[in-house]
Amino acid sequence: MWRRISIVLNKEVIDNARDRRSLLMALIYPLMGPLLLALMIYAIDKVVVTGGADNSLTLHIQGAEHAPELINWLSAHGHTVIPAPADAEAAVRDGDIEVAIVIPATFEDMFVAETTAPISVLVNTSRLTGLITINRVGSILSSFNTEIWGQRIARKGVAFRSLQPLDVNHVNVSSGTHIADILLIMVPPLFIFNLFMGGTYLAIDTTSGERERGSLEPLLINPIERWELVGGKFLAALFYTAIAVLVQLLALKGAFSLGGGENLSFNRTLSWQAIFNIMVLTLPLMMAAVSVQFIIATMTRSFKEAQTYLGLLPLVPAIPGMLLVYAPVKAEAWMMSIPTFSQTLLLGEVLRGDPLPMLHVALSMATTLALAMVLLFIATRLYEREELIFGS
Amino acid sequence: MIEVKALKKSFRAITALDGIDFVARDGQVTGLIGPNGAGKTTALRIIYSVMRPNGGSVHVDGYDATRERRRVQQRIGVLPDGRGLYPRLTAREHIRYFGRLHGLGGNDLEQRMGHLADVLGMEEFIDRRAKGFSKGQTRKVALARALVHEPHNLLLDEPTNGLDIDSSRSVHRLIRSIRDQGRCVLFCSHIMSEVARICDRIVVIAHGRIAAEGTVPELMAATGQDNLEDVMLALTGSKEGA
Repeated sequence: MWRRISIVLNKEVIDNARDRRSLLMALIYPLMGPLLLALMIYAIDKVVVTGGADNSLTLHIQGAEHAPELINWLSAHGHTVIPAPADAEAAVRDGDIEVAIVIPATFEDMFVAETTAPISVLVNTSRLTGLITINRVGSILSSFNTEIWGQRIARKGVAFRSLQPLDVNHVNVSSGTHIADILLIMVPPLFIFNLFMGGTYLAIDTTSGERERGSLEPLLINPIERWELVGGKFLAALFYTAIAVLVQLLALKGAFSLGGGENLSFNRTLSWQAIFNIMVLTLPLMMAAVSVQFIIATMTRSFKEAQTYLGLLPLVPAIPGMLLVYAPVKAEAWMMSIPTFSQTLLLGEVLRGDPLPMLHVALSMATTLALAMVLLFIATRLYEREELIFGS
Repeated sequence: MIEVKALKKSFRAITALDGIDFVARDGQVTGLIGPNGAGKTTALRIIYSVMRPNGGSVHVDGYDATRERRRVQQRIGVLPDGRGLYPRLTAREHIRYFGRLHGLGGNDLEQRMGHLADVLGMEEFIDRRAKGFSKGQTRKVALARALVHEPHNLLLDEPTNGLDIDSSRSVHRLIRSIRDQGRCVLFCSHIMSEVARICDRIVVIAHGRIAAEGTVPELMAATGQDNLEDVMLALTGSKEGA
């Protein structure tokens, strides 16, 4: 029995390893989600986390020579001043630089005369990434303003401090942890989607594809039980699904460490142990996914029809995870009896580094495994029908 | 030996086989002929056990095709109507896959493959992937994988359809040599000249029933015709399949 199953498994694995489309599904598609996530982590890290931290800015200033006092003050506060491009307006509009400061020639005389001196800050509010810089430039200039104003009023004998009841300090304590949490919620739906996608091509190719090629009938004439044939093909599709899942987990690990860097708390959350745990935890779901793919691919009349249905299939099980993005729930035992939902919840716990309750794991694996067995039984029965060779 | 008794098969309202009886003996080439839709392919499919009959029985070397499916399938080699290949496997891998499913392996299997490649003239493309194979090359691979386990009974559905003269003749030689080894060949074809040349006995099937059975001279005598095409027309009342 195992010998015949392994012959079929062996053939299907080799056959599909030579197929660009199967490999695409198993090796390239799983990278898409993590890649997107890495970009988001990187962007959020740059814009929100480090963007708000109290470090130095590089300021593009036109006419710096008219305001030596301001320039000295900026340098003394750790900011770098470089000349703005000749057409500062265009540079800001095109996004070459985020903010430009323009100091007119009249500035110096008016500043020395202690009247109100004009200064322009060129901004482009339609560019999101510039918003934080705009904010900071405004606050830097207003600090300078307050300081000069304080000096001038102090010379007139008024205690500056008494006129400033508040000394407001903005301290950005973001370490990215919270953002990491938000992004982590997006991982389970991506994961479930990929899990239902990974073996699709092989499932179609070995059922309706085999029928369309006309290689099914000769195969069925061999002295092998139908369930052994299904078993071999099922294991081959399961193998490709597991590869797709593993590739995605490795890519996620890469995305977390590359995109997140030291700032974010992702690094700890996807350890090798966690990857192993997720693989074991979701194996029953992989089996159920492959069984559903076989049922659909066996019942449909053609390769194209099967492809259409199976292209939509991964969306359905990913829905609970997508809803959880908006309304997170606390995992409870009864939820563990719902396949795909239980994996979504448990996956979230693994990613957050929470301990996994053994009862939950056992319930989730047992119920999903039972479902997988029922589906596999149905798939085998469908394969035993004599209509199989005609595809109706 | 293949024994078919009172075989019946219907698909919903359509009766494909309405009780057919015939025997394909060892050491003979038995031709199964008839117009399109007469039930030839259905009869073959029941014999090679991918379909179950509604009534009657099929025995291959004494084994029941419904109850002892695997035993029957071990004893037959089939070139079915559908004979597609896996485009990403080489010719050799096709033959090896089927050989292994028949429980063969190791040196024995490799030797048999070498022998078949030699007999069928496959050396030139045996290690090429099947994508882009010509009709003749595809047919040879399909034949080789049907023959690799040296089955005692051979079922061939239109084995030379679309082949050039040279390839057709080599298939004919192969069929005769298998018959001369005392094995049983059941042969379906629409080419009456081919049937007349290589079949020892002929079973004519029409509308799901046996219309006639006998040697070519016997059928000619019974119908008063002097060639097999006219015999066919006289027996089936159809211009099709001639």
